[in-house]
Amino acid sequence: MSAIPAAPAPVMEPAETLEQRFQRLAGHWLQETAYVSSSSDLTNHPAFREIVEMGPAVIPLLLRGLEKRTGHWHRALRRITGVDPVPPQDRGDIAKAAEAWLRWGKEQGYEW
Amino acid sequence: MVEPSLEEVFPALRGQTHAITSPRDDRYNCIAWAAGDDRNWWWPDPDQEDAWPAGVAREETVAAFRDAFATLGYQVCDDERLEEGCEKIALFALADVPKHASRQLPNGRWTSKLGPREDIEHSLHDLTGIVYGSVVLVMRRPRKVGHLTG
Repeated sequence: MSAIPAAPAPVMEPAETLEQRFQRLAGHWLQETAYVSSSSDLTNHPAFREIVEMGPAVIPLLLRGLEKRTGHWHRALRRITGVDPVPPQDRGDIAKAAEAWLRWGKEQGYEW
Repeated sequence: MVEPSLEEVFPALRGQTHAITSPRDDRYNCIAWAAGDDRNWWWPDPDQEDAWPAGVAREETVAAFRDAFATLGYQVCDDERLEEGCEKIALFALADVPKHASRQLPNGRWTSKLGPREDIEHSLHDLTGIVYGSVVLVMRRPRKVGHLTG
């Protein structure tokens, strides 16, 4: 009886963690919008939308990004949470928006 | 992740004189910089996340941007030539959708904030291309002493 050659075992790619997926998408977004001033172009970018679709699980990563000033993550936080802790008089002030969201994160008990 | 160079993004800058004139700063964008504001991000987003002059339509149209600069004393003019005593801004649009604004310097060259990146000094049309489109509107006002010159 001839032996049937065994098929090679499929190589399983390790699953991407939530943080790895976020970092990959964040990298794409920041690179491809590096010269963009249009807020709608920023928030309509597919990578940004995918980050928003990841939902509340990425809130700590967004807060960390805000603290490190890596991007306009307040835009994603607003879309995920449906709240906006930035006072109307501070709209457009990116530094104050970040401060308001970091305060909100602490009040909500998030750790990042 | 490797970031594209300025010349890769704006091919018209290749071989042309331009200079980076500020560090990166994501607190303000080109519209703010053209308006003389280096502390806020200006855009007529309907969600009102960004700064925009009160009473001006929050829509991405050339008319809305014209009206926004009009609140600062700018009026539509014919061209981008340097005029003594005048300060000019130029609006870029792609398929009639505003994407960028530049401000003329007293030496006749132009200053632009590139999204969240640096300010550069350049010739006006060297930013023309698939990212910002082309100049669709030029406005002027009397140059104010003490206004941002960078």
